[in-house]
Amino acid sequence: MDLHFSEADVEFRARAREWLKANVPAETRPARGPESARFDRAWQRKLYDHGWAGVAWPKEYGGMGLSGLQQVIWYEEMARAHAPHHINTTYIGLMHAGPTVIARGTEEQKAFHLPRILSGEAIWCQGFSEPNAGSDLAALRTRGVVDGDHIVVTGAKMWTTDAQHADYQELLIRTDPGSERHKGLTWLICDMKLPGIEVRPIRTMLQDEHVNMVFYDEVRIPVADVVGEIGGGWSTAMATLSFERGLGFIGDQLELYERVGRAIDLAGRTRLEDGRLAIEDDGIAQRLASIKADTMAIRAMTLADIAETDRTGIPGPKGSMMKLLVTATHKALSEVVSDILGWDFLEFDGDRSAHPWTYEYLWSWVFSISGGTSEIQREITADRVLGLPKGR
Amino acid sequence: MYLAPDAEEEEIASAAAQFLAEAMPISRLHATTGAAVIADMDKALRQALGGMGWFALAVPEEDGGSGLSAVEHALFFREVGRQCGPLDVLAQCLAANLFAEAAQRRAVIAGEHGVALLVPDGSGFRLIGSPAAELALHVTSEAAGIYPLDGLRSENRPALDPANSLRVAEALPAPLASLSGTRIWQLGQLGVAAMLVGIAEAALDLIVEYAKVRETFGRKIGAWQAVRHPCADMAVRAEAARAQLWYAAAALKEGRADAAAHLDAAKHLANLAAHGNADTAIQLHGGIGVTDEHDCHLLLKHAMLLARVFGSRRDLLGRLLHARLDD
Repeated sequence: MDLHFSEADVEFRARAREWLKANVPAETRPARGPESARFDRAWQRKLYDHGWAGVAWPKEYGGMGLSGLQQVIWYEEMARAHAPHHINTTYIGLMHAGPTVIARGTEEQKAFHLPRILSGEAIWCQGFSEPNAGSDLAALRTRGVVDGDHIVVTGAKMWTTDAQHADYQELLIRTDPGSERHKGLTWLICDMKLPGIEVRPIRTMLQDEHVNMVFYDEVRIPVADVVGEIGGGWSTAMATLSFERGLGFIGDQLELYERVGRAIDLAGRTRLEDGRLAIEDDGIAQRLASIKADTMAIRAMTLADIAETDRTGIPGPKGSMMKLLVTATHKALSEVVSDILGWDFLEFDGDRSAHPWTYEYLWSWVFSISGGTSEIQREITADRVLGLPKGR
Repeated sequence: MYLAPDAEEEEIASAAAQFLAEAMPISRLHATTGAAVIADMDKALRQALGGMGWFALAVPEEDGGSGLSAVEHALFFREVGRQCGPLDVLAQCLAANLFAEAAQRRAVIAGEHGVALLVPDGSGFRLIGSPAAELALHVTSEAAGIYPLDGLRSENRPALDPANSLRVAEALPAPLASLSGTRIWQLGQLGVAAMLVGIAEAALDLIVEYAKVRETFGRKIGAWQAVRHPCADMAVRAEAARAQLWYAAAALKEGRADAAAHLDAAKHLANLAAHGNADTAIQLHGGIGVTDEHDCHLLLKHAMLLARVFGSRRDLLGRLLHARLDD
């Protein structure tokens, strides 16, 4: 057991801190519309031009090839520098699609897509969930019929974040009409400009329209855009999700550690209705300190997990436990800030930059539902960590 | 950076687990007759532990100890916790780190003299540990002192937790030895946090094992989500407390400036994990969970005792709120 960072790690942290200090944009990210995607692309382009893009990507594909520990350092410094939030329109490309193409794509697919993702030129979205296939992803029914060197896709996808901005989509469909569950699926790169695609926004409780339904009416996608094998889509999709369940939320994990400090500062300068500073209220002070302890444990779990993965090369089964703890802590922090801010917490227009605490509170349900609901994470933990008898 | 026991550390932990399961099994705490059991550490057990050197893991070799670190100390006390080991084991261990005088230190390390823990309560004191103890240890975050119990007037009190006797005393004699500084307090916090993590893990193990065999409505109860999901939450609590415990142990070993804050967090999270897991384990066991013959209630009662020493919830959170942390 030791807490030593190597000289290279310490040097990396200093370099990251210095660069971020000089380069984090002064202006806030626009809340919505094409301007928000433009902002994300420009920030990603800046990272790319200065050699900070693709922290987890191998060097041979233009990434930084950082160890897990250096990724921790990078995200810690991003949070400390108030850098643009890493979950933005570039997230799916960088954390899902890119790693999947690296792991399972052809040389042509890699050469075309990877530089575009890294430089912020191409924005990706995800097309896995459907109206009747969410937690139970293998129930998906969007169908694809092979017709010569094309696959003709018809159906609907659900909860597609940023589909309105995306250039490409990671699309999981059923290509074998008689197949059930995990068999007969195919993972496709779908060009969002193809004829037959309709994007319909879903307004959420966050007063935004970031998520969408996407409809496909005989959309012709070249067979050359299949990643992995036709019929082998489940295996490719599991590779995609393993990136998300591995280090996909590392940024959120470490950001919480930073945000609890901001909440304590906020409590030290915000007056309650009775005129006391919020921090003088025992209940508020104790809840904040307890959440701070949780974020310390989250950081320790992250470091423990990453040190293990850096040693063995295989991510452990603990990602589900991590997501349960992180989402619960995220919500608890938002709730105590609601008590600190009082009426001000109820002022909200959907702008994340203007009303960050209320936005994060509303987002807490998105966090505990997307990427596998907390209920699904408990099932995974019961199966894979505890070895309890299967309920399904 | 490595936040888990390495091979050598594992070896010490498993040696401790094996020794304690024989010398001090949790089964010793069950009443075999109608009378309530208080299974204090008697002289024979004390000397058995002393003979193996367990009281002096973190004492330097030149002082008669094993010259190991806070990390081994934590690994040992996690195993002590799993067996609901008496608090005397920790008091004995801390006294071994406190005594500067060689003969006194040797007597404590060998288990010749027994040490109970002394905590202030209102205008008086509480003594936790065997009535056979000759000495008592009082620790604050700034200093620690050892007091002779010979001739001290104390009154026995009924104890909820059968792992320790409880007594009250009104006045203290002059200390035999004292040490200023944070070291004894921090080793104490780490030891108690480790015991609580052991309890949280033991409670999880009990229910997971039971859920694999017990059937209701034609299924193993571990197949029902009403049981699976709280078990998963128990696993999360234990995992978080354990990760923070390792962090705190390594921070103490390395003398980091933020070790005190990490210890406070480790103790707080271990309190929550031990209490939460013991509580849930009793509930998920159903009726058998409230019987004396089951271990669940022993874990709960010992967790309640340990929550009250080396930092109450209020103390811990008060310090943690503005504590500064390093990278």
